[in-house]
Amino acid sequence: MYYYDYYPFWAGFFYSLGIELVTSSPTNRGIMEAGLKKASDDTCLPIKVLVGHLQAFKGVDAVFIPRLVSVEQKTYLCPKILGLPESVLGAVPEGIPVLTLNVNMREGRRSFLKELEKFGVQLGKSRGQIHQALSEAYKWLRHYEYLRKEGWDFEESISCFDQIMDKSTGDRIKKADNNTGTDELSYPEQDNRPTIALVGHSYLTYENYSNMNLLQKLKQKANLKVIENVKLEEIEAQHMSLRKKIFWSHAKKIFGAGNSYVSNLEVDGIIYLSCFGCGTDSLINDILARNARISHKPYMVITLDEHTGEAGVVTRLEAFVDMIERRLNNETNLSSYGECLDRNSSIV
Amino acid sequence: MKLTYPHMGNAWIVIQALFNSLDIDIVTPPYNSKRTLNIGTKLAPESVCLPFKLNLGNYVEAAEQGADTIVITGGIGPCRFGYYGELQGQILQDAGYDYDVVILEPPDGSLLGLASRIKYLAGKKNSWPKIISAIRFAYYKSVACDRIEDLIHGFRPKVKEPGQADQLYDHGRQKLANAMSYKEIDETVRWVQTKIREYQAGLDTTIKPLKVGIIGEIYTVLDPFSSVEVEQQLGNLGVHVDRSIYLSGWVGQHVFQGLAQGYRSIKPYHRSAKKYLSHFVGGHGQESVGAAVKYAQEGFDGVIQILPLTCMPEIVAASILPRVQEDYKIPIMTLTMDEHTGRAGVQTRLEAFVDLLERSRQSKEQLTREDVLGFAGS
Repeated sequence: MYYYDYYPFWAGFFYSLGIELVTSSPTNRGIMEAGLKKASDDTCLPIKVLVGHLQAFKGVDAVFIPRLVSVEQKTYLCPKILGLPESVLGAVPEGIPVLTLNVNMREGRRSFLKELEKFGVQLGKSRGQIHQALSEAYKWLRHYEYLRKEGWDFEESISCFDQIMDKSTGDRIKKADNNTGTDELSYPEQDNRPTIALVGHSYLTYENYSNMNLLQKLKQKANLKVIENVKLEEIEAQHMSLRKKIFWSHAKKIFGAGNSYVSNLEVDGIIYLSCFGCGTDSLINDILARNARISHKPYMVITLDEHTGEAGVVTRLEAFVDMIERRLNNETNLSSYGECLDRNSSIV
Repeated sequence: MKLTYPHMGNAWIVIQALFNSLDIDIVTPPYNSKRTLNIGTKLAPESVCLPFKLNLGNYVEAAEQGADTIVITGGIGPCRFGYYGELQGQILQDAGYDYDVVILEPPDGSLLGLASRIKYLAGKKNSWPKIISAIRFAYYKSVACDRIEDLIHGFRPKVKEPGQADQLYDHGRQKLANAMSYKEIDETVRWVQTKIREYQAGLDTTIKPLKVGIIGEIYTVLDPFSSVEVEQQLGNLGVHVDRSIYLSGWVGQHVFQGLAQGYRSIKPYHRSAKKYLSHFVGGHGQESVGAAVKYAQEGFDGVIQILPLTCMPEIVAASILPRVQEDYKIPIMTLTMDEHTGRAGVQTRLEAFVDLLERSRQSKEQLTREDVLGFAGS
């Protein structure tokens, strides 16, 4: 589920242990349909996609589904992820064992290490190996987060890890960094285009099949900003404005980034990518929409589900970009119809 | 200050008792109705769960009667309920209702903060001993309330005239709501018991009604409006309903942190769920799975899970329940509740489910008589 956030972590972990990691192919129609058939119908799109992926596995020795309870102090992840290993068990093809472990940072790093050691026994690895693997994994994760913050997109960052795995020396991380560092300029920001921020769960924004290539479509039309471009400190700072802290780490990230984009004058519009039935989004979206309305920031919600009608999304996207462009060109804060369209503007 | 609170089944009896004995001015909102739901749906985010919408409707209707402070419990997830109070306060503010929302939870884990919030509600005139004795009294009442409900559940399938049980239930609840001492509470429970015995005198006791366990999300299970009275409907179909969670069990576990166990403790469910779901998932997801296993082991005829649309913990439970169903050969039906209040739809599904259970029971009996062919052919 959190492939787009923590893949490098586990990749580093298993790489260091000398275990070969097979990733499923990118989502396609077959995977999606298999997932829809097998998954419980009430659940959300990302889980359905995951179930599809699980069914597609062939010829592997085991499937690894970690249970992410919490990735930082005082927060949780979504309940569906807490119950993930059990709820998708039925989808794993018969004969393939499922490996799982609890990641619970609420109880501190030490207990996580213990959990990993227990996991190591299952894999037949010694404690020393696990410790080494863990520090390697953290190194990869930090590196990845750094790359993302610098504006690299997911494929670019991952490809540099793939190189390491092929060449099989851990020290290459640093080198890979230097080698590809120049690529950064390949997406120059153009001033005459509007800047649009896309916020939403990573398993939606980067899942190119289920969001109908929204990222690429947006990039063609506008300068794109995503959640990962916002610094962690900024997210924490935005978070302080809330009376009660949000207790889902992912939702917290989305809210923090979204809210900082709301107050960021360089950003011309915000798109919230959600999926039908997402529990955390239903609340966070409402808070963000409210804040956007107060500061007169164009805001659009796209809700994804199993429908693959691309035209609908394209139309909405175009309309949104058109609206922003028009707003940039002839900026008046007056409504064209003489009627008060949002709650804070007055009719002069 | 005029307090109000959201409805959740019979919770109002208990909350009323608590604040009345503290001498605090309260407004009990009108009971959940179509109007409540309409107001709530209009104000709430579209894809939020059903209890959120009903709560909002309750607050608006209470505001019409002059309430200005909301009291609600909170929590720190991962269920959405923990964030209810916060967002509802904002929504009400925007809609023009000037409410003060007091969330009863330890803010950032500080018990002192919780204490100061309670004190703020109770005012200067109430001392701590008085507050604690009021809480004890309310808790006692909630246990009694759950007992009465359970008695009614057992009684409903055996009534001679339809409506008898509902009448008794309403009467008992009213009596309980008015009870102001421990003695009166005990008497009310006894009164219900004797009444049931009177009604049942001379009835054939050999009939064994079907037994169905109700599991699922606590609000929809406890609140008859949101589940279109599933329990009552089942009872009238001649089914003995057993419920997995009761109000006092929830209160004991969450408000008193397990110090009191309530009418039916939810603790044992964790153990029975272990094989299927070894980690808690927020809300009552794990409890639902555990309760289903327990019902299956106790030989119930079927299990019904009730959840509001998009409820996260229960969806996890729902995707695990098929494995329980497979292992124990017990039919489990999942009913998802949303703003639609089409009673007939639910009724049809319940009738079909009960038919299925009856037939499977018959076929079990017939199998022992080696009459399989005749049954299949008939």
